[in-house]
Amino acid sequence: MPAAPRRGWVATWFSGPRRHQWWGLAFVLPVVVFFAVFSVFPVLFGFAISLTDYSLLDPPEFVGLDNYRNLLGDKLFITALGNTLLFVLGATVPVWAMSLTSAVLFDQAFRGKLWLKTIFFLPVLPPIVVVGVVWRMLLHPNGVMTAFVGLFNGATEVPWLASTVLAPLAMVAVHDWSVVPFFMMIWLAGLAGVSPELREAARIDGATAWRVFWHIDLPALRATAVFVAALSSINAFQTFALQYVMTADPGGPANSTLVLGLLVLKYGFQYFRMGDAAAVSVVMFVMILSVTAVQLRFNRRG
Amino acid sequence: MVTSAYKAEEEIMAIPIHWWPHRFQWLERFREATEIAPLWHYFINSALFSITHVIATVFFGAMAGFGFAKYDFPGRSFLFFLVICTLMIPFQILVVPLFIEIKALGWENSYPGLIMPGLMNAFGVFMMRQHASDLPNELLEAGRVDGAGEFHMFMRIVLPLLAPALASLAIIVFIWSWGAFLWPLVVIQDRDLNVLSVGLTNYSQPYQRPPMWGAAMAASTVATIPIACLFVAFQRYFIKGLTAAAVKG
Repeated sequence: MPAAPRRGWVATWFSGPRRHQWWGLAFVLPVVVFFAVFSVFPVLFGFAISLTDYSLLDPPEFVGLDNYRNLLGDKLFITALGNTLLFVLGATVPVWAMSLTSAVLFDQAFRGKLWLKTIFFLPVLPPIVVVGVVWRMLLHPNGVMTAFVGLFNGATEVPWLASTVLAPLAMVAVHDWSVVPFFMMIWLAGLAGVSPELREAARIDGATAWRVFWHIDLPALRATAVFVAALSSINAFQTFALQYVMTADPGGPANSTLVLGLLVLKYGFQYFRMGDAAAVSVVMFVMILSVTAVQLRFNRRG
Repeated sequence: MVTSAYKAEEEIMAIPIHWWPHRFQWLERFREATEIAPLWHYFINSALFSITHVIATVFFGAMAGFGFAKYDFPGRSFLFFLVICTLMIPFQILVVPLFIEIKALGWENSYPGLIMPGLMNAFGVFMMRQHASDLPNELLEAGRVDGAGEFHMFMRIVLPLLAPALASLAIIVFIWSWGAFLWPLVVIQDRDLNVLSVGLTNYSQPYQRPPMWGAAMAASTVATIPIACLFVAFQRYFIKGLTAAAVKG
């Protein structure tokens, strides 16, 4: 009995009617190779470096988990961790409240809305470094913000960026100022998806505007809310540019604005302690991944 | 900021605020800015950096997105999963190892070192895959029947159909790259090679002299103009792109 020509899957793939599917691999190959070289490899490499002492000059020396153990007793790291967590707190809850409030306001119909919305959106345009430079000028001890505050309490000089209390607050305020309009746009996109019929029906049933918002809009905004919460905290964990541009040293005064992102730069590119820098970034990575994990859980439940 | 770029130095800090310059200085501040630091070098480097990123991300992103959406090859799910995973890697984690890698390649303090790591991004692939899956399969089948090659189809049929999505992606990538700060800060030491965002710090924290706010504002204006132009010209794509970046990313 003549055997039917048996073709292995390799042969089928290469010459069968599905031959053209291989083009797909060719199309994705550049991107895959790129990510392998510039994302996947560096991440693994970063873990490896965090287990060594490496100064760029001498070959790396394996020290196991020592770098992580040292971080626990490292005052600078503890300070930076605390500052970062406080910054995240300031860059999340107030941002959610302000952006949602402004989105709800802009969701109403009123005259001049388009203009106002455009103006409100402007802080999103300049690169973060420009935001930092301009606010550094506005927050000059005798600058515009001082003059503004002076109208109320007569102050003539306020050490906005030179006080260990005001400087971290200023970082949060400037950060929030620059991101609120962006998150407002996202809430607005979410609000656009709320069924107008449902709202109308509730209103006819005599629900107050607040109750309509609470019982109709908010539940429909669930996915948006999870997203805004996750993105704002992930961004906040990575903050460093404002601190770098606006504060003396950077991270000053007295390390009050030293955040983890700055610490990576300090250890890595000022002290050339690559192992410690990599360990700090691994800690940041773990924190950010846990935010992502929480986000995915909420998404799945929704 | 924009009006301050045209003010005399002492007017900038004047109280009460001069909302409009009393003595209008048309190009003084800009001239000053170019004297303190190579402002135009910064500008050209930023433009080169961002435009290369836009072209590469859009082209390779569309190609990979199309490949993932419309072809069925072994390892597809795994490779796509890999790409999506890189979305979750914050750049700050990569800085140290990437710097060592680039240094080993001999690319530190050079254009390749500056540009290469941001050449493609996973978000572009992800976004393009979404859009490419919406394309009708019949279109591709018809192309094949007509004897068109796969790459030819991608260039002649797929790319034009993806044009609106490509425009949104291009704008997002431009904004990201134009504002990029961390990587240029780390990889470039030579001040003529630097991009605007890093160069700007030369004005607000100049070495051994007080900040020159007029020059800083002039340079900040230069750094904002391209994005402001994009915003004015493509407002529709701009907001759509940004919110798409958010909602899908």
